[in-house]
Parts: sequence; C-alpha cells; structure tokens
Amino acid sequence: MNSYTYDSIEVGHKESFTVTVTEADMDRFREITGDINPLHKDSDYARERGYRDRVVFGMLTASYLSTLAGVYLPGEHSLIHSVNTKFSGTVYPGDTLTVEGTVTEKNDTFKLIIIKAVIYNGNREKVCKAQMQIGII
Amino acid sequence: MTREVIMEKVNEIFRDVFDDDELVITDSTNSDDIEDWDSLEHISLIISMEKEFGLKFDIKEVNKLENVGQMVDMIKDKLDEKQGL
Repeated sequence: MNSYTYDSIEVGHKESFTVTVTEADMDRFREITGDINPLHKDSDYARERGYRDRVVFGMLTASYLSTLAGVYLPGEHSLIHSVNTKFSGTVYPGDTLTVEGTVTEKNDTFKLIIIKAVIYNGNREKVCKAQMQIGII
Repeated sequence: MTREVIMEKVNEIFRDVFDDDELVITDSTNSDDIEDWDSLEHISLIISMEKEFGLKFDIKEVNKLENVGQMVDMIKDKLDEKQGL
C-alpha cells in the first residue's frame, strides 16, 4: 500500500494497477448488493439483448476506484469525498481492467486532491471515467 | 473590488454549487437556510471562491465563518490586502 502525504503529491502524479474481474467476483457482488438483474446473471438473456455475455455490474467496475484511492493514490491516508462516474463501455467476466488515476488539482486549504480516473478494458477501450475528490488525512 | 461586486460573484458561486439559478443569498444566509449546504458542499464553495478571486484561505479562518456576510468580508479583506489597500 502506498502512503503518500499531501506534500509529497504533485499535480500530474499518476498511479495504476490491473485487475481481472472473475465470475466469483460477480457472484460475491450480487450477494452483497442484492442486485439480481438478469443482465448480470443470465448469459442467454444478455445475448438476446446484443451483448456477447452477461455484463459486469458497472458499480463493481467502479468499486476499483476505491482501491485506486485507498491503496494507490494517495493510499493509506485517503478519505474519498466524492466520485462522479460515467460508464462508457461494457465489461465482461474475465476482462482484465487497467485502473489509472492522475492528480489534476490540489487544494492546500483542505488538503485534498482531485483525481481524473480512467478504467480501460484489455483492448485499451475506456469502460469507466471518473472524477474523484479525495481528502488526505 | 467593491463589497457589492464580491457579493454578486459569491451569489453566482452559490447558484452554481447548489445548481439553483434562483438562489438569492444575503449577509445573514447560513447553512441552516440551504438544505444541501453540508460539509462537502462547503468545501466546494470555498474552493470555488479561491479560484474565482485568486485567493488562498486558511482553514482556521474558514472554520470560523458563520454566515455569508462573514465569508464576503473575509474575501474583501484578503483582496484589499493583496492590492496593498
């Protein structure tokens, strides 16, 4: 886990990691949230609607933004204030995602950073974009 | 910059942050008067003001503010100080 302090982070600082979304992750997410929508559960249902397989929950993809802040940027001292998210592509079970975050702004008064985050699938297509405001405690 | 001009700009910031084009603030407006004015929106307000007026605030000063009037006074004092007035 990284432990960046406010003063050690500069605008432009970038961190990234990769993660593969598994069938087991899908099942656990469904169990935790109770989101039993068939688009995320039933492959035939998803294919009938034009998808090649069942679709990974957008919020499961977005949950890796928590990891980005809490483990990588800034890491240990992170306190997420807000996350504005857009889902710009489809993620399927088995996809390996690259989660990237870049510091675009710092605020000295509140010791917080603004991060532009992008999540790419294995074909380097953007599947999720976000702006995060993170306090550094 | 006159206090009236600062107040107009601050009102615009409030309208933008709270997404309410009809919002009218006065010196006595405080967080009890605007339902969505919570700690996170307070941060948004202060950051927007720092950007609009090109100022840096001190967190201790910010924490003492009790209403919009005090906010505007703080901005005016800092702008006057910056201009050597």
